Amino acid sequence: MKKYFGKILIIGIPIIAAFILLYPTYDASKLEEKKQEVYNRAKKDTSATDSLTRLERFEDKYGKDLESAKNKRLKLGLDLRGGMYVTLECDIVKLIEESAQRETVDDIFNEVIDKTRQDAKMSDESVIDIFLNNFNKIARPRGKSLISYFDIGDLREASEDKIVERLKNNAENAIDQAQEVIRQRIDKYGISEPTIQKQGSRRIMLELPGVNNEIEMRKLLQTTARLEFNLVKNNKEIVKTFARIDKLLSDKTKRAKGLLPDTLSESSNTISKDTAIASTKDISKAKKESIAKNKKKSQKDVKTEVKDTAAAIATDTAKKATDTSDPYAGLSEEEKSKRYYEDHPFTTLFQTYYVTDDGRGGRSQPIAYSLPLDQYPEGEYNFVIPDQTLKKFNNIMARPEVKALIPYDLKIAREAKPDPRIEKQSKQKIYNFYALKREPEITGEFVTEARATYDPNTNQPMVLMGMNSEGADRWGRITGANLKKRIAIVLDDQVYSAPTVQNKIIGGSSQITGMANVEEARLLEIVLKAGALKAPVQIIEERVVGPSLGEDSINSGLLASGIALLFVVVFMLLYYAKGGLIANISVILNVILILAVLSAFGGTLTLPGISGIILTIGMAVDANVLIFERIREELYKGRSLKSAIDEGFKHALSAILDSNITTFITGLILYFFGTGPIQGFALTLMIGIIATLFTQIVVSRAMIEISLIRGATHYNFGQPKILNI
Amino acid sequence: MQFFHGTNIDFVGKRKFFVTLSTLINIAGILAIIFMGIEFGIDFEGGTEIAYQFSKPVHADAIRNAVDKIGIKGGEIKSFGKENQFLVRVKETDNAQVKITEAFNKYLPEYKATVLKVDKIGPKIGKELRGQAFLAVIISIIAIMLYIAFRFEFTYGFGAVIALIHDVILTFLVVIIVNKLGWIDLEFNQSILAAMLTVVGFSVNDTVIIFDRIRENKDKMKGTPFLKLVNVSVNETLSRTINTVLTVVLVLLTIVLLGGPVLQGFAFTMLIGIITGTYSSIYIASVFVLWYLHTVKKVQIDYEPDKKTELKAAKV
Repeated sequence: MKKYFGKILIIGIPIIAAFILLYPTYDASKLEEKKQEVYNRAKKDTSATDSLTRLERFEDKYGKDLESAKNKRLKLGLDLRGGMYVTLECDIVKLIEESAQRETVDDIFNEVIDKTRQDAKMSDESVIDIFLNNFNKIARPRGKSLISYFDIGDLREASEDKIVERLKNNAENAIDQAQEVIRQRIDKYGISEPTIQKQGSRRIMLELPGVNNEIEMRKLLQTTARLEFNLVKNNKEIVKTFARIDKLLSDKTKRAKGLLPDTLSESSNTISKDTAIASTKDISKAKKESIAKNKKKSQKDVKTEVKDTAAAIATDTAKKATDTSDPYAGLSEEEKSKRYYEDHPFTTLFQTYYVTDDGRGGRSQPIAYSLPLDQYPEGEYNFVIPDQTLKKFNNIMARPEVKALIPYDLKIAREAKPDPRIEKQSKQKIYNFYALKREPEITGEFVTEARATYDPNTNQPMVLMGMNSEGADRWGRITGANLKKRIAIVLDDQVYSAPTVQNKIIGGSSQITGMANVEEARLLEIVLKAGALKAPVQIIEERVVGPSLGEDSINSGLLASGIALLFVVVFMLLYYAKGGLIANISVILNVILILAVLSAFGGTLTLPGISGIILTIGMAVDANVLIFERIREELYKGRSLKSAIDEGFKHALSAILDSNITTFITGLILYFFGTGPIQGFALTLMIGIIATLFTQIVVSRAMIEISLIRGATHYNFGQPKILNI
Repeated sequence: MQFFHGTNIDFVGKRKFFVTLSTLINIAGILAIIFMGIEFGIDFEGGTEIAYQFSKPVHADAIRNAVDKIGIKGGEIKSFGKENQFLVRVKETDNAQVKITEAFNKYLPEYKATVLKVDKIGPKIGKELRGQAFLAVIISIIAIMLYIAFRFEFTYGFGAVIALIHDVILTFLVVIIVNKLGWIDLEFNQSILAAMLTVVGFSVNDTVIIFDRIRENKDKMKGTPFLKLVNVSVNETLSRTINTVLTVVLVLLTIVLLGGPVLQGFAFTMLIGIITGTYSSIYIASVFVLWYLHTVKKVQIDYEPDKKTELKAAKV
């Protein structure tokens, strides 16, 4: 016994270690079974309290054990248990764009940004570097420096380097912050055992086991959740801006047709003087009726509403102004309407209402854009747009020359959802849109609480928000200062609601309405609690494995592996007899060791991982085959059993090492260049190779030598009987 | 039990025939890669690929019709294992899954489609992965060459690398043909890449074992011409080669037949690679070393000097 005690240790220690490492896996599955049983019994309980205490008892007794066992157990990959794998990329370009000072942004800067966005799509370089590179190429030759665009804070410290440093910091913070925010969102959504990893400088990799609602998940991950409260500025100024856009566009078409000279002289004045006057004060009774009719129409047949009203107003105002100086004088109704459309290519895409305060919450009436710029009445306006013209509207708004007309302290934002009443009645999607003060009064950073619930009055889903004390103070001041004004609640640049402030709000509570259903409200609750992302993120890679496929894969993978292992075991036993038995024990120990090491490293067993193990079995058998063949050869040469075994192991070693090391090199390269599933394969392959070298060379040799020490004079490696001395 | 003991097969004697055969097959392989092209899978191509299971068997044309009707052009439909499971692949990455699932619910309501898996790869990722795959193959070939050159001699390292390039091309040829015939779905994706790289590892593994024996015999049997040395070494390791290949082939064949659609492609590619890897260890790697010693180093490799002409033809 003493003589081979060391050898027994060589065999025993890895076995014991493997079982210790694999115990949590066994424990966790046992406890989960038990938990399921308790749940099943709890379901059958007649009283709710009984079932609750039953569950509580289980949690008290085993909850902690289960948690710790779960952490240490061998994890199954998404391909085996189902779930979602997502790679997110932070939009750093957007971040740079937004850190520039709004009023300084010009065509040159936009060109740099556009080029950066394109380059970043195809490059792995840091986006900031790409940006600086492009900036040097495009903006610098035209006399611009970073200081021209970015706020430098303290003037004494202003330097290009400072700006670059700050941009870099921002980018880095953005990805770290995104990782944190997304972790919180996923926690709150309730996904157990997610994996969240930063990948490179701008990516986040997520593994979300058990997710089956991908659509909801996508929304949860991609929502920037930037909550802002902006003052609504639907005033005369924006109406005038819209009129200017009309003019810009119509002049352009006319110039293109050769109707106007290229030089844009004082023509705007002459035209506006010629245009008919139809201020609200002038609106005749007849017109009011027509508006009322139109309003009714809008409820019934909204499809043509915008066209109709616009046309009606055009003809109306035209009629009214025939005696003054009507540009459309003497034209047929049809022609007039046509001309109105030509002159107003932008404002005819939507509809503008002027809100008159009649003491009962306001009344709105449509207005046409045929007034001289300075004659639009002061006060509130409303804008609505049907979804058919929305695309055209957005396209126009995206043009740089149009953007330039919009006052830099304003932005245009559309409502997230079409007007539900109109949609219900006519299936028509009509959106409100607003001119908002660009600088928010307050942002979501102060929001500490959010709760999805129903509005008791309308029975619509909504989210109630609470702010911290600083936020509550500010919110109180803001609402106090803006009584009777509208404040829009804007989430990711879409307006959810724009209520009029009735009283000063103390305590910092506010609410968001306008969600389609309660699921959406719940998602909103989660993202508001987790906070906003500093930079938007995009899903660039996504893999979903349904649970049934996962189960199928496990079953067929296990079945195939089991049968393959059986073949190997039987073959080895038949061919190498007792040597084969030793080899088989080593191979099985090998598989156990791989699983143990994998769970010790917190690795994950994936489907390619299973193929890696199967491959290892092949490699392991190869090692034994090499050794046994060599021992047989040495026996043929007439060596004694002991020296044949020594020589066999010795000579086979170099071949085994060389072949395993080359495979290991491939594994290493696969691990560093592969992603996700391939890495799983490479990792198991590498662990497998090390385990193989250990079990097939060290352990199987120890087993053979123990029997030699115990006095065995012959050993059956399946060699012909003649060789047994 | 014992097979193949004390064999004395003249393996390298027929090298002229086998080298010519291999050269022809390799030319065919390169032509196939150039003209038939490698069909990249979703991993390297980008787009959306969704595996659906229908509640009962459905014809691929019905699925294609449904996808066409919602205006998604160029959708590919492939069978996925069972007769009620299909892969739908489209170029779009935005919301394709939602649209297609809706289309099935609308146009094929009686078949009740459920999603088994979704792979959505942005075009940028696809391009990146392709670049990485290419890099992985090149780097592993270089690393292996260096390792063998370090363990043996440079000639051996070069021989091993030529053999493994031969294996990769031949495996590609078979993969392309089988994929075209539609027996097994063998689009070039990440798991086929992994299989290819493992083939590289195995091919070298086999070559190393023969080289190792040649090295050993070279010292033991000083003065023996190289040709005989190679033959003896191949014969001595034959039993091992057969046994190992047999077990690995058994394992892989089991997975091809029973492992399910996800593992199938991987196992099949490896199966081809293992077989050609074994062949190439003898007829490419060893024969290359022979050729090099004979033609470049001007070493006499056989007892009979008149074999010279034949050796020239053995150029790889």
